[in-house]
Amino acid sequence: MPPANPIPVILVGCGAVSRFFYAPALTELQSKGVLRVETLVDPSAANLQPLAEVFPNAGKSARLEDATLASRLVIIASPPKFHAQATIHALQGGATVLCEKPMANTVAEAETMLEAAKASGSLLAVGLYKRFFPACESLKGLLEKAPLGHLQSFTIEEGGKFGWQAASDSFFRKNMTPGGVLLDIGVHVLDLLLWWFGEPASLNYEDDALGGQEANCRIELDYPGGARGVVRLSRDWQTRNEYTFHFERGVVRYKVNDANHLEIQTDGMPALLSGSLLTPRGVERSNPQSFIEQLLNVTATMQGLASLRVPGEEGIRSLRLIEQCYANRRLMPMPWLTTGETKAALHLASTKGDA
Amino acid sequence: MKIALVGASGFVGTRMVERWCLGDHFEVVPVVRSFSSLAVMARFELPWQVCDSMDPSALAKAFQGCDAVVHAAIGDPAQIEKMADSIYRAAEAARVKRLVVLSSSSVHGQAPPPGTDETSPLHERHVMAYNNAKVRAEKILNRLSASGSVEVVMLRPSVVYGPRSRWIADTARQLLDGSACLIREGTAICNGIYVDNLIQAVELALQVPQAAGQAFLVGDAESVTWHAFYQIIANALGIGMETVRSIEPPVFPHPFKERVGNFAALPATQIVLPLIPGKLKRLTKLLLANWQEPTPGNVWKLRPETACTTTEELTLLQQCQWQLPNQKAQAILGYQPEVLFDEAMRRSLEWLKFAGLRNPSTN
Repeated sequence: MPPANPIPVILVGCGAVSRFFYAPALTELQSKGVLRVETLVDPSAANLQPLAEVFPNAGKSARLEDATLASRLVIIASPPKFHAQATIHALQGGATVLCEKPMANTVAEAETMLEAAKASGSLLAVGLYKRFFPACESLKGLLEKAPLGHLQSFTIEEGGKFGWQAASDSFFRKNMTPGGVLLDIGVHVLDLLLWWFGEPASLNYEDDALGGQEANCRIELDYPGGARGVVRLSRDWQTRNEYTFHFERGVVRYKVNDANHLEIQTDGMPALLSGSLLTPRGVERSNPQSFIEQLLNVTATMQGLASLRVPGEEGIRSLRLIEQCYANRRLMPMPWLTTGETKAALHLASTKGDA
Repeated sequence: MKIALVGASGFVGTRMVERWCLGDHFEVVPVVRSFSSLAVMARFELPWQVCDSMDPSALAKAFQGCDAVVHAAIGDPAQIEKMADSIYRAAEAARVKRLVVLSSSSVHGQAPPPGTDETSPLHERHVMAYNNAKVRAEKILNRLSASGSVEVVMLRPSVVYGPRSRWIADTARQLLDGSACLIREGTAICNGIYVDNLIQAVELALQVPQAAGQAFLVGDAESVTWHAFYQIIANALGIGMETVRSIEPPVFPHPFKERVGNFAALPATQIVLPLIPGKLKRLTKLLLANWQEPTPGNVWKLRPETACTTTEELTLLQQCQWQLPNQKAQAILGYQPEVLFDEAMRRSLEWLKFAGLRNPSTN
């Protein structure tokens, strides 16, 4: 049920994620009276303009410091480098914060965000909307209730040629963004794995960074229950974009971003069952609707009608795992390189890997 | 030697960046069109430049301080021609000494007649618009360099394969999904060149003084059929060649939109186009954008597991009966392909494993 007074929203960062995701989601919720976009914040007038056209009644500002924060929902969608500073400022001003993934560039930054939330008593949510996909929720149910038996292994392949419309090269500069594909799409993948399975007992990690950011990486994970998984991520070549789970009595496949669809083949079935996931009332929830669902969870929590599904304490877990990966990093074998090139690659990876 | 590499994010460009960053002889300045093109080269810390490859003044700034430029950018037919002009003018403005251009053996067609070499006259009557655009791009570069200060060297490779190439990845995918096919058993010649051999030719073209003003056909040392090329990939994937269907060359009806596009790209049309009112041009573009090709269907047909996949380009290539010669490149550039075919395929297949392309039933 929409609140009597729409929640005022401040959208910080008017780049691609705001244009393609937040703008349509906020437009829908504004039309339903759930919220009201009050202020758009971005230091770039060029970035502000397209969003200002979508929300003509919203104020425009170059700095979050100029906005009134108390009782607002502040959405942080600026580059990750600025997440911690903006989030802490908003929390201290009495706002609820929904911070886009990755929550921060480092665990240390994310911890300061959690401390600020605790000290201020304000809510901090993290934008990991794939947890709201019916397919991901169903997988959690299959893993917990085990109707197909216990999980034995899984493989995850995600990524393709990089297509995100980056507005600058800061996304690819290691001094601005400390990680590549793992810190980008890997945040979602590792968040889902942590949500589904908990912490791995051990992991091996390798990537192809040669002084810069990795474009490919591979993680092997072992879990306390005996399940073993392999994750391969790429922003270089087209992967299958598929998660495959081998249970004792069947196989389940989830296609990346196919929010309400799963493929299941149980023992004894000669064919693959491929179908849509519907609510008991026969409604499908798509990828965009899952994004909206995340926003509704935050606004409902602000009203005391729900609890946060992805609070900051959850958001930081994938960052911790990412830092564990980078700390144990090895160079991926690249067998097409010549002997001399391999030697140079190993040298570059070891001398500049932590630059 | 400091090289500006236009098209550094493509398949050849990516390997060139990798090779030069891991070697000692060339310092590379990658030049790409968009920030998102930086994703793979960002593995290295590099002084990349992001600019429109059809904007001579922006390119000239990107080329500043470079000794030479390598043009490895791809585009549609109109872009191919425009880039040739822009990149040459930018190189001249930046006082670059030499421009090495990745042209294509398709200037002679995908299945050139026996006897074809660099002396064979070029024409613009190819079926494929890409070929004609490459011919026109070479002519533009020859015309500009005849009166300009930048030396131009053009390389004409054919099927460039290796890690990340479509000839490896797409063929593997087609073999895996059962859609691979060969024209007439694949007995035609695959004029392949392993990507490292092409880069070796580029390196020679950058340095050999006598190369200036010349075009060179470049390929691997061996003569290989398409069947042999497919067989090596199929073997690596554990797939029998009996799954690869042999077909007669299909006829490719050129869609209406493509025919209009080809017509619009002709030099004569380009002269006339400015005379057509903008309103009419916009209306035509709108109509074309919404044009639906008729799609006849028949539900009373047995569905094959997967349809055979081929393209017009591949169909033409798989009818080639002539091994394009390397003799001129050998004589003037001193080109001797450094990677032999078996090793080239081994490295390519190792990349397939790296990329995770495998046969699920054999793993």
